Amino acid sequence: MSYRTLQVERRGTVGWLVFDRPDRGNAMDATMLAELEDAWRELDADPTVRAIVHTGNGPAFQTGLDVEQLAGDPDALREQSRRTRRAELRLTAWHNQVWKPVIAAVNGTCAGGGLHFVADADIVIAAAGAAFLDPHVSLGQVTAYEAVALVRKSPMEPIVRLALAGRQERIGAERARQLGILSEVVGEERLRERAQEVGEMIARNSPAALAATKRALWGALEVGLTEACRRGASELVALWGHADQTEGPVAWSQGREPRWQENARGI
Amino acid sequence: MAFECLKVERRGPVGWLINNRPDRLNAMNARMRDELADAWMQLDTDAEVRVIVHTGEGRAFQTGVDVAEIASDGVGMERYRRSVEDFDLHFTAWHQEVWKPVITAVNGVCAGGGFHWVADADIVICASDAEFFDPHVSVGQVVSIEAIGLMRKMPVEAVMRMALVGRHERMPAERAYELGMVSEVVDPPERLRERAQELGETIARNSPAAMAATKRALWGALELGLTDACRAGAAELVSMWGHPDQVEGPRAFAEKREPRWAPPT
Repeated sequence: MSYRTLQVERRGTVGWLVFDRPDRGNAMDATMLAELEDAWRELDADPTVRAIVHTGNGPAFQTGLDVEQLAGDPDALREQSRRTRRAELRLTAWHNQVWKPVIAAVNGTCAGGGLHFVADADIVIAAAGAAFLDPHVSLGQVTAYEAVALVRKSPMEPIVRLALAGRQERIGAERARQLGILSEVVGEERLRERAQEVGEMIARNSPAALAATKRALWGALEVGLTEACRRGASELVALWGHADQTEGPVAWSQGREPRWQENARGI
Repeated sequence: MAFECLKVERRGPVGWLINNRPDRLNAMNARMRDELADAWMQLDTDAEVRVIVHTGEGRAFQTGVDVAEIASDGVGMERYRRSVEDFDLHFTAWHQEVWKPVITAVNGVCAGGGFHWVADADIVICASDAEFFDPHVSVGQVVSIEAIGLMRKMPVEAVMRMALVGRHERMPAERAYELGMVSEVVDPPERLRERAQELGETIARNSPAAMAATKRALWGALELGLTDACRAGAAELVSMWGHPDQVEGPRAFAEKREPRWAPPT
């Protein structure tokens, strides 16, 4: 499949989804909105892909909707408004129910709607010069989805401050690491190399166990603690007897890499 | 009661629960699992014990289910199927509804199922040489209950990363401190138990009844949305009004002496 606003690639066991509108800060136009859904589906369905890295070309990671372009495409704008109203967005891996591990590698500015991709990734790393800001309220827009997810995942005060300060303030990569919004800051020139390494490290684990773990942990954000543990226990027990649970310890004791069951959609 | 896999001790107002299978890195076999259920209840019902410290012997704190036992006896994980399916577990203080303060003091390695006692403790401190990692997915197992507990209590990305990276990466004590997974790193590591005892004694100076109601309010809050959690918390708050500790506390403060708290009920 060919894309106009994204690059979709494979490097060994790692699939890459790269925003590719560098001259527009990688903002999402109508084409990108449609292509994102296709790209997640393509990588998710490819059994050779064990982990997915998500980054951007150019100085920005992602800067949200390209409002200018969408204003000239009323059909696309209407469709996006409808999905927003009904909470049926299809931008991120979480929206598209991708159960393979997703690593966001934030290469530069991540603004407004770009925060969707940080909130909805499993693992986030960033280049030293990356910065996070949310200009919604500076343009008379409300911040909701992105910050709602982020306040479940990190200390709340910095997220609310980000949402209310609008374009007047930004969080730098190192502060984001301290706060646990992301786990690693690397030099800009090493970001992709490091993302590939983290992807390959994760790809050494059982695809079936990774998928069930993701379902259990993301599902836990939906309900109270005891109910979340109960549902998580079902994911846990569901994998008992799976071939990977024999292969894992055997490979370990023989000092070799495990040969995991192939697992197209991580189910 | 005689324990094989644990040590249960009292030092002043502090009860100690010590994982004691150092040659197995304190991995939990079926016996230890049963003993933990008893040990928590024993310490919880002892009126002399005001605070409980949980730690391990040897170079590991806890490393989860004893894989050697699972692999060797032909029963495997199946022995646990019913209890896990029903989420009818009894090996942590939270499972056992212990409302005395619990301090986990992580010595050395904490891996996989060892996170149950980090997630379910009220306070966590660790030795400066402690290391955290979760190898479940590297042996084809799912990460679930431990991480679900941790996710409520600290930044989620770090928990997800540990869960998905498996045995290929470890989190050092310093990062656990930055993230708020632990509140104190003890250096040198040999001072861990001494510090845990001090902290236990400090906490033991507070009203047992007020601490129990506070624990119920805060742990209960993890079950509900914000407004409902405040409502349930308010009920715990009001339930203490008129309790003798609420007269004794201010009086002792005014008289510059230690309060004589009502014995826990």
